[in-house]
Amino acid sequence: MEPSVEAQARADYPAPDSTAQDNTALDNTAPDNTAPDYNALVRPSAVHRSVYTDPAIFAAEMRAIFGRGWIYLAHDSEVSQAGDYVTRHIGTTGVIVTRDRDGAIHAIANRCAHRGATLCAFDKGSAPAGHICPYHGWNFTADGRLKNVPNRANYDGVLDLADHGIKPVRLESYRGFLFGTLDDAIVPLVDFLGHMATSIDDLVDRSPSGRVTCSPFVLRHHYRGNWKLSFENLNDTIHPGFAHSASVTSAKHVAKTLADDQPLVASLGMMLANGKPLQFFQDLDMVVSPRGHSYIGGHMGANYMPDTESEYALALIAHHGEAEAARILGVDRHLMLLYPSSTWHARYQTVRIVRPVRHDLTEIIGFTFRLEGAPEETFRNAVEYCTGANSAASPVIADDLELYERIMDGNGCGASANENSEWVPIGRGLHEDRETTPGFTRTPATSEAFIRNQFVAWAAYMGGPA
Amino acid sequence: MTVMDAGLHAEIAAFIEDEARLLDDQDFAAWLDLFDDDCRYWVPISRDQKAPGDGVAHFNDEKQLMAARTHRLMNPRAFGAEPSPRTAHVVSGVRIDRVDANGGLVVSSSQIVIEYRRRDRFEADSRVFGGRFTHRLRRDGTNWRITEKRVDLINAVGSMNALAAPF
Repeated sequence: MEPSVEAQARADYPAPDSTAQDNTALDNTAPDNTAPDYNALVRPSAVHRSVYTDPAIFAAEMRAIFGRGWIYLAHDSEVSQAGDYVTRHIGTTGVIVTRDRDGAIHAIANRCAHRGATLCAFDKGSAPAGHICPYHGWNFTADGRLKNVPNRANYDGVLDLADHGIKPVRLESYRGFLFGTLDDAIVPLVDFLGHMATSIDDLVDRSPSGRVTCSPFVLRHHYRGNWKLSFENLNDTIHPGFAHSASVTSAKHVAKTLADDQPLVASLGMMLANGKPLQFFQDLDMVVSPRGHSYIGGHMGANYMPDTESEYALALIAHHGEAEAARILGVDRHLMLLYPSSTWHARYQTVRIVRPVRHDLTEIIGFTFRLEGAPEETFRNAVEYCTGANSAASPVIADDLELYERIMDGNGCGASANENSEWVPIGRGLHEDRETTPGFTRTPATSEAFIRNQFVAWAAYMGGPA
Repeated sequence: MTVMDAGLHAEIAAFIEDEARLLDDQDFAAWLDLFDDDCRYWVPISRDQKAPGDGVAHFNDEKQLMAARTHRLMNPRAFGAEPSPRTAHVVSGVRIDRVDANGGLVVSSSQIVIEYRRRDRFEADSRVFGGRFTHRLRRDGTNWRITEKRVDLINAVGSMNALAAPF
């Protein structure tokens, strides 16, 4: 028989002679069965640049950190009706959070147990009849049980529906905020939060009804950089004076043009807050706690809630009583960073998800919450803050995004000039701790203690069993 | 209902084109002068947003913030805007949608904005935005003033990288 045309065409390309090949280079890069020593990348006051730029380290982080922490997924008000769902991620693993017909909320991987296609393509919707795969119609319940497979007869009795469900993601709620984990052995959520639970309390307690609801309008921005860079930026109080100085300059320029009776708008107040003197930040506290979490005490002096304090405060007193209302309003914290997946601003009812996409691509998803029972103006302040803190068009955010990408450029260099340029120093404020308790350490807000604390957690996650 | 007055339409279409051209020319002082003091420049994240207070937005600017933004665009120390992005607006399909009770106009147009900022990122240095632009105008003597500019981008709901230049 004549060989086919295709085979003849292929015959024109001789097979490589493997015996003649110099395999030295291959041998050098052959997979090494010994686990990489990630702890060697973290020193007490420096980290190796590859933690930001190495795709293999990113892949390991998805398993060791995002696969083993409690990851913020959604607020229960986002799935208020039976069948409502939202899609989120645990690291790079897609997850569907659905409220079932009986009102219970479940999370499952967004992956059909048949061919692996995502069940839900959109970020939210309603699926009261279950999640039906668009490929072959396999139908799953909110908690991942396989209800039906079309043409089941073709499986000749071999397909047991019970064998092909989607394993539920472990879900726990703290005051309505839902966290998921892929780790069956992890401590309960409340232990994972530790002292930082008080910052979630701070958000919910501010509601004059005890209830908060998530706005359906969500801001998404992204940068071509590693997810850790935003975690290392948000509580860094030294960078604003440099990175955001142009915003301060422009806000001052506009302030000078205003008439005496013309108030400065809140968004410019937010830009000006970046121009506070160094001593202001040195006097503020930073609080770090186990597992990489932190917050800044003091809200950086910007006031976005100018003329509703009285009406709002009266509503709060009516619900909580005078003493408790005073305590709640007295809590004065800036951003709380819940490593590795979310950042929280209780005073302005804003929560951000930090979503790692690739080692060099990160999405930030900003949610605004309404304090039920508070004046409408309170929600508008939250909207204003959330827009300033999460819009890609925010002058402050635009500068941060530029710098994250520049950090990737600088650290992604193929060869470095010397040993020093292999390392990123994180030693600022190393010996300035103010108080250490079993639950947290208090230190000046100018310190890089929160970054060191993140890398202590990073090394513990990465050094643990994979 | 679309207002069919050829003379008015030509005048308004020229106004909308001139406004876009001022942005392309980075003549921000003249651009700001087209706006009322209590104006709003608004780029919502969804067409479902009826009013700026409904929820977060890409841009939700009073005139003060518009002034600060455009001042910053020309500052060589604004790292997120250095070099300052350049834009080319393509304006098409200008329509006077209606005349409001006070004689003000609601004008819509389709616009494409090509943006370039040199960052040594090759293809990623150029971006294309587009959508429906809605201007609310009021008569001010022989001129028109913008009381609101709303930009509904076709990718408004999507995830954005840094935005510096107004659309």
